[in-house]
Amino acid sequence: MTPFRSTPAGFVARWEPVEREVLARVARDVAGLLRADAGLPDDVTDAGVAFTGVARVPRDPAVQRLLPDAHREDADVAAEFRHLTQTDLAAGKVARLLAFADAVADDGGTDDAPSDGQVVVAREAAQDFAGALTDVRLVLGERLGLDDDADVEHLHHEVLAGLGIVDDADTADPDETDAAGLDAEQRSYWGGVFVAAGFAQESLMDEMLAELRARGRGAGE
Amino acid sequence: MSTYAGAVVMTSAATQEDTRTEEASRLADPWVTIVWNDPVNLMSYVAYVFESYFGYPEAKAHQLMMQVHSEGRAVVSTGPRERMEVDVQAMHGFGLWATLQQSGAPGEGA
Repeated sequence: MTPFRSTPAGFVARWEPVEREVLARVARDVAGLLRADAGLPDDVTDAGVAFTGVARVPRDPAVQRLLPDAHREDADVAAEFRHLTQTDLAAGKVARLLAFADAVADDGGTDDAPSDGQVVVAREAAQDFAGALTDVRLVLGERLGLDDDADVEHLHHEVLAGLGIVDDADTADPDETDAAGLDAEQRSYWGGVFVAAGFAQESLMDEMLAELRARGRGAGE
Repeated sequence: MSTYAGAVVMTSAATQEDTRTEEASRLADPWVTIVWNDPVNLMSYVAYVFESYFGYPEAKAHQLMMQVHSEGRAVVSTGPRERMEVDVQAMHGFGLWATLQQSGAPGEGA
């Protein structure tokens, strides 16, 4: 996986086939999770569908993180907000997760140009792409039990050590599960996906921020 | 916030008294949008959201992002409840953990 770079066609990175496949699958899984737990009908992403059901509080903590309470103390305010917004929010997230999955699963091969491993994110699609990466990372973070900055740093260290990038004598017992209930193999796998998604998003945000600020300066002159 | 400012400008043709009443009720009953820290969202993404959605200058977006990171939360917008609901919905759309509450209520912090 290479960092996203700004090009005339949009933001472009190069992902390995396995990276495309895994991130597309995770995004589709998160979309399915959201749809089921937020109580969306299967066809809610179709244009023009009016859904008038009562939005229920998600049961899955990861979905709760994507659709959090909007008020900390006032349950009535939180419930009213959820009733008014949850279906739209969840449907928007599902749609962009599926668009993300389609975009990264597409290997770029066309009649004119064979597959070159590029992931091309058009400028107008970049915010949704970054949002989908965020939702994927939030769900993985919840599954990995990442509660604070130290947890995230530790995970990064573990993943890089597993790749042999940093030296680490902290070898986990393969049969022992961590606080989040994952065994060493699962933690290593999902940790790797979390770190890769973060790497992709970080490089994309650097480029998007640079262009946003350049436009702002241009408009101010 | 820009929408609300626009609404005030559009009422400038109305009587001065109306404007004062509106201003007074706005000050008496403001709500706030609070963004809370989480370990997953990237600092660059949070800065992008504050700059692109709220239109804050780079320095203000950075200051708010650092406040969220170091103090655990920051008030990112202030205004009528309806406007704050729009902002909170937008923040949830971006994947940021946001809540609304009446200004001055416990938990808002300094």
